Amino acid sequence: MKSYPAPLSKSDLMSVESPARYVGGEFNAVIKEDMMEELEKTGKTSYVRFAFCFPDIYEIGMSNLALQILYHVLNESAFVACERAFSPWFDMDKILREKDILLYSQETKTPLCDFDILGFTLGYEMCYTNVLQMMDLGKIPLLAKDRDEDDPIICCGGPCAYNVEPMADFFDIAMMGEGEEMILELCEKIHEYKQSKDTDHPMTRAELLRNCDAIEGIYVPSLYEVSYHGGALVRPVDDGVKPVIKKRIISDLDTCTYPTAPVVSNLRVVHDRSYLEVFRGCIRGCRFCQAGFIYRPVREKSVDVLCEQGRLLEKNTGYDEMGLLSLATSDYTHFPELAENLLSTFEGHHTSLSLPSLRLDSFSLDLMEKVQSTRKSGLTFAPEAGTQRLRDVINKNIKEEDIFSALRLAFMGGWSTVKLYFMLGLPTETDEDVLGIADLAKRIEKLYYDVGRETGRKMRKLEITVSTSLFIPKPFTPFQWEPQNTKEELIRKQHLLKDNMRSRNIRYAWHDFDSSVWEVVLARGDRRLGPVLLEGYRAGHFFDAWDDHFHLSDWEEILNRHGMTIDEFAREFSEEETLPWDHVSVGVSKKFLLSERHKAHEEKTTPSCREHCSGCGAASFGVGECFAKREVKADAAE
Amino acid sequence: MLQSEREKMMTLQPHQKAYVQRACFSREGATVYLGHLDLMTCFERAARRAELPILYSQGYNPRPMMVFALPLGVGIESRSDYLDVSLEVPYDPVLFTEEMNRCLPEGLQILRSKQIPEPKDSIMSIVTTATYRFEATGIREAMNDAMKRETLIVTKIAKGKEKQTDIRPLLLSIKKDGGEDPDAVEFFASAGSEKNVRPDLILSSLSLYCGMDKETADSARVIRTGLFSGKYPKILPIDETPIRKFEDFTN
Ligand code: SF4
Repeated sequence: MKSYPAPLSKSDLMSVESPARYVGGEFNAVIKEDMMEELEKTGKTSYVRFAFCFPDIYEIGMSNLALQILYHVLNESAFVACERAFSPWFDMDKILREKDILLYSQETKTPLCDFDILGFTLGYEMCYTNVLQMMDLGKIPLLAKDRDEDDPIICCGGPCAYNVEPMADFFDIAMMGEGEEMILELCEKIHEYKQSKDTDHPMTRAELLRNCDAIEGIYVPSLYEVSYHGGALVRPVDDGVKPVIKKRIISDLDTCTYPTAPVVSNLRVVHDRSYLEVFRGCIRGCRFCQAGFIYRPVREKSVDVLCEQGRLLEKNTGYDEMGLLSLATSDYTHFPELAENLLSTFEGHHTSLSLPSLRLDSFSLDLMEKVQSTRKSGLTFAPEAGTQRLRDVINKNIKEEDIFSALRLAFMGGWSTVKLYFMLGLPTETDEDVLGIADLAKRIEKLYYDVGRETGRKMRKLEITVSTSLFIPKPFTPFQWEPQNTKEELIRKQHLLKDNMRSRNIRYAWHDFDSSVWEVVLARGDRRLGPVLLEGYRAGHFFDAWDDHFHLSDWEEILNRHGMTIDEFAREFSEEETLPWDHVSVGVSKKFLLSERHKAHEEKTTPSCREHCSGCGAASFGVGECFAKREVKADAAE
Repeated sequence: MLQSEREKMMTLQPHQKAYVQRACFSREGATVYLGHLDLMTCFERAARRAELPILYSQGYNPRPMMVFALPLGVGIESRSDYLDVSLEVPYDPVLFTEEMNRCLPEGLQILRSKQIPEPKDSIMSIVTTATYRFEATGIREAMNDAMKRETLIVTKIAKGKEKQTDIRPLLLSIKKDGGEDPDAVEFFASAGSEKNVRPDLILSSLSLYCGMDKETADSARVIRTGLFSGKYPKILPIDETPIRKFEDFTN
């Protein structure tokens, strides 16, 4: 195979941290050689050249499943050639700027501006400035309105694309929902656009964007205008544009293509393992969890398909660990069968199974005994709140009896490491709820020694880690209207917890406040933030997802200069006002979210989809859990 | 894990008969920028993809039993480095080479392999000498100059501390058959677990004492062209070195 060296001198590469990030050459990476030959001969190609851009460093991007899935889908298509690009770290950023070298793709080292389309995945709000960095380093005008026929189309997808308003000035297109089908439909339009350039009637960029608007799930921000009276109302500019963008989903995951030969990094990355996606969606409906609502309804893959995909993944990657991926692994209907099956496939290969988000019971403990990788990391629980009252408010369906009976079994089995995850600042939270966290941790400590006494065994040192993250009200959740606690209030609660949880067995790990404060601004923000982000980026702020490189005070100052305050985004939103994301439909109705919010304040829980359908509206997709065992209540679903 | 720890773990395990492939490999292209640990992982994964019957170390965290003759630093190309791969069964070296090459990332290539009896001496312990080829403008003259000096004191960083060290005794000789190209030079240097000199330190001595500018020295292409056992100058390429068998040792 022909190799494509990076456009950098050896001394430049040797001067940066982890130069292997910038050189490509990974196993299973795809280069369409016929396209490269065509380009070399004629300077042109009929292929749609797609750069999949991940706005963070290589090691994080390469652990991203969306990247692997869409890379595979695009390259499988006969008329698209997809390559990858990542955010260069500060050291490399500096070299590229100083030497005027354009940010390039991993595969053929093509400058980003030479692609037909750039697709950014927006996994977290704090990566927004890195989108600007990558476009800037690729010599692409940052503002959509400044780009012309010669510039690539800039699009995005991923969970943050559902409220892309803060980034609306920069993107030509946002894709709502699961991308496997939509992204190819989009590429077809770009293919037509590209082909039309050689005809007498070349399509304009504006025409192309109109054409793209016809694709369900695709949002073209420039075709909408915003007015701000009592909220941010986003409306189409004319009748030719769809008023509501409905997210796309894949109906049948079994027949949908899945990357069983993903690109394997040469460099060891954040999660050095292959991923087997088991199902999409979540039956639970925890009221703070965006993923739980935006990915509805639950759709599972069949055991046979999963076992075959697992077998191929192991063989094609060589990874010695495979992660089962979903929002709650134990909720998979055939979980025991799948786990046993995979373990027997891996028999004698020294491949371990990693089982995140496992609900602990006697079955899963038994399973974890067999799976080494879990043994090392200890037991994990996410009660999220310290008291049953607050757990009812957030609809976190985990009962203390269950935690304690699972822990008793685990402690008897010799486990001695426990991790507990909580959130601070949840709606209706009182000091009693905060102290409930400390109380829970202490009672677990006591249980450990009780088990020791009862069994008469010598026990190892117990390690309990309590982690708290901060509640962030996210769009498309029942808590989307809720206020965020002020920073001062959160700090007070954190100290309250810390002071009441002192023990040599308990370690308290907390999350940085500053980034959560800013995250809420970006998550619930609107188009007025575009100029703020641009100014921040120009002032040298990016890699905001990295706590060491995030400066809240600078951002707050810029925000204030633009006539806004953090409180405008952290305040309680009124139920009457128009939300900046009201023109987007994830299938779950606003009416349902509102009723869930009211139930939360009444401390009432909602059963999981499997127990009882609550008619959230996602049944309108016509597939999955909503039609599993019982008829959906037609009157409740919109 | 450090290579030394890995070694220790492997010798500690209850003995299981191993069929060792002693493979010679090259590295170029993108993989040149990998550190040694990443390089080892690449080989491990390739062997797993090739579904070779690899032996694993015992214990808590079993690893494929692969031992590299000498770590290959970031930025160094190689035309002949070596590794021993322990297999459960005898394996045709040609097939082994083909299977591995099918599964290695671009830039890494097994050049040849041979099946050897399980060696008593670890492949790491027999390395004494390496040959390197440097390519950069005017580097032959600078290197000739270096060889004429009594000492070449450079600063190396070991365990977070700066340390002054004389690398001159570790430079053995300039290779006679290395041609006359003024911009390339090939030489013998001490290598291995006893005495070893890192190529970047040689390059920094060339810019410190031998009139090369730093940028040119730092950008020099560095290729390890050979690894040898035995006492210099009576040395043998690693894969031509006679093997002391493991059994001879146990009996
Ligand atoms: S319609 Fe019913 S079953 Fe379907 S996702 Fe909503 S609540 Fe669950």
